Amino acid sequence: MIKLTSIARCFQGVIPSLLASADATGMPNVTYVSQIYLMDDRHVALSQQFFNKTRRNVAENPHATAEIYDPVTMQAYRLRLKFLRSEKSGPLFDTMKLRIQAIASHTGMDGVFRLIAADIFEVVRAEKVEGFLIETDVPDDAVAPSGLRTEIRGLQLVSDRINRADDLETLLAATLDALDVFFGMTNTIVLLHDEPAQKLVTIACRGYGGGGVGAEVAIGEGLIGTVARERRVLRISGLDEGLRYGRAVRRSVMSDGGRAVRPEIPLPGLPDAQSALVLPLVIEDRLVGVLAAESRDPMAFGEWDEAYLGVIANQIALGIERMTEDEPVAVEPDAPALRFIPPPPARARHTLTYYRDDDCVFLDDEYLVRNVPGRILWKLLGEWKREGRTSFTNRELRLDRNLGLPEVKDNLESRLILLKHRLREKCPDLQITPAGRGKFTLEIVADFELVER
Amino acid sequence: MPSEPPHKLQRFVEGGISVFVGTVDADKVPTCCRAIALSTKDDFETITVYVPAATGQETIANVATTRRVAISASEPLSHGSIQIKGVSRGVKLAPPSDEEFVRTRLHQFADVLAELGLPRHVTHRIAHWPAFAIEVSVEQVFDQTPGPKAGTPLA
Repeated sequence: MIKLTSIARCFQGVIPSLLASADATGMPNVTYVSQIYLMDDRHVALSQQFFNKTRRNVAENPHATAEIYDPVTMQAYRLRLKFLRSEKSGPLFDTMKLRIQAIASHTGMDGVFRLIAADIFEVVRAEKVEGFLIETDVPDDAVAPSGLRTEIRGLQLVSDRINRADDLETLLAATLDALDVFFGMTNTIVLLHDEPAQKLVTIACRGYGGGGVGAEVAIGEGLIGTVARERRVLRISGLDEGLRYGRAVRRSVMSDGGRAVRPEIPLPGLPDAQSALVLPLVIEDRLVGVLAAESRDPMAFGEWDEAYLGVIANQIALGIERMTEDEPVAVEPDAPALRFIPPPPARARHTLTYYRDDDCVFLDDEYLVRNVPGRILWKLLGEWKREGRTSFTNRELRLDRNLGLPEVKDNLESRLILLKHRLREKCPDLQITPAGRGKFTLEIVADFELVER
Repeated sequence: MPSEPPHKLQRFVEGGISVFVGTVDADKVPTCCRAIALSTKDDFETITVYVPAATGQETIANVATTRRVAISASEPLSHGSIQIKGVSRGVKLAPPSDEEFVRTRLHQFADVLAELGLPRHVTHRIAHWPAFAIEVSVEQVFDQTPGPKAGTPLA
């Protein structure tokens, strides 16, 4: 019998499997199964989302046969199965549930299709379907992804970058860069948890053409929001196949006319992603954020990537925690913080206007930033105008009650990163640059008139 | 004979459809086999399903023993699916005049899978000829599109 673990990629859900069952009278039934879950070399599991004919059949007659396909070579394998039991809780159930919840949420089908049970089957026999493919001179695995990875070395490089970073923005940018350069993960996103608002805010991303920072995801919505809510890793291969399944259910429900369904949630990054690996960033039981990687390759992420990115996610979570801890009060004697720097010679003139009622700042006649990042900017500019200060600390912002930061979990760093991004995009003459841990400097190369209304 | 108007089922005997067959042996142990094409000459009174000879031996043996057949036809892009149930009226090796039809159906299937990212040359490698032609008297047709209505008879 073929070892199931040696054909593990057949179980990634890229190509739907076939399943034949029969009732007690011997009437056969055939159906597609979007994914068969590999448990070990003797067991597989099927997700039970609707109480369907297959489920009724295996309760009467435990025999079933599945045909599964290698997504690279298309070679078929048949699994002779015997139904053992249904599980409605436990680690396997939770893992299968997460994938279904994420797809259901993404396609606006929360609660319509959900995991009822994980049906466990013994694999009595597994065999290659001889003659399924016409023989050619091309070896079956000629197009299979391959290549040795130097995992430990790569991990060390990413870890070094995380440890060397002085501020959160550098930490995240360096980490995502390392994942791209060393491991080919070209499309990655980090979102931070804004607990009071029950949402996630994109704080760093790579591979999306420079945009994306500031984009928000509600907890519980879509792939990322579901991972945040459940605090569990989600790895989806054949994402497109899963979404097509979800959309088919959606059309079926809508054609009934009896239920209003909410719109589908746009994918967070690549509109044509074929696979995704989404990990919660957690310190103890507390959600710090989410790390997501996407790819157009339907088999981009395997178990190895999940394990590896899991280690990286832990490091990022610890790094975020380190960066957002309260900074020490004392300033090193030789540190150049809080220096008085006279305003530099002006090269251009701008008007910055703060609208108190709307809590937002406009640059000349264009909207720049609002809410807490807007108030932070206004405070910094006020200090600069009144005292000529250009060096500041995170701590003094935390102590300023006028900024309206929460007492705990204030996400000051993420708000500063958002402000930096807005200034980079909209106001190159006014920049915030890091000046060591918990410190930063205003770089001003124009004359700014400040108006408050 | 289905009560669903034949024109609504027609798309499932055209190109770009994924087809497979379920059968049982004398001990009621089921098996499945990928088929290549479906055709009907009498508005779904009967249907002919083409199963590759290279992989269809078990299916043919089951049909000879129990005659019961389930056929699933599905659109890979939309997951729109039906299931046909019936009994075999006979099995024969498909005549050479059917070879072009069967090959065309495989290529149309490959075109659809190519839209999903599977290279055509991979699908073209699926053995498809010679093929067995199983003629089935249609008794029931079910909607098999994923969702709460899956399994309902088409009426």
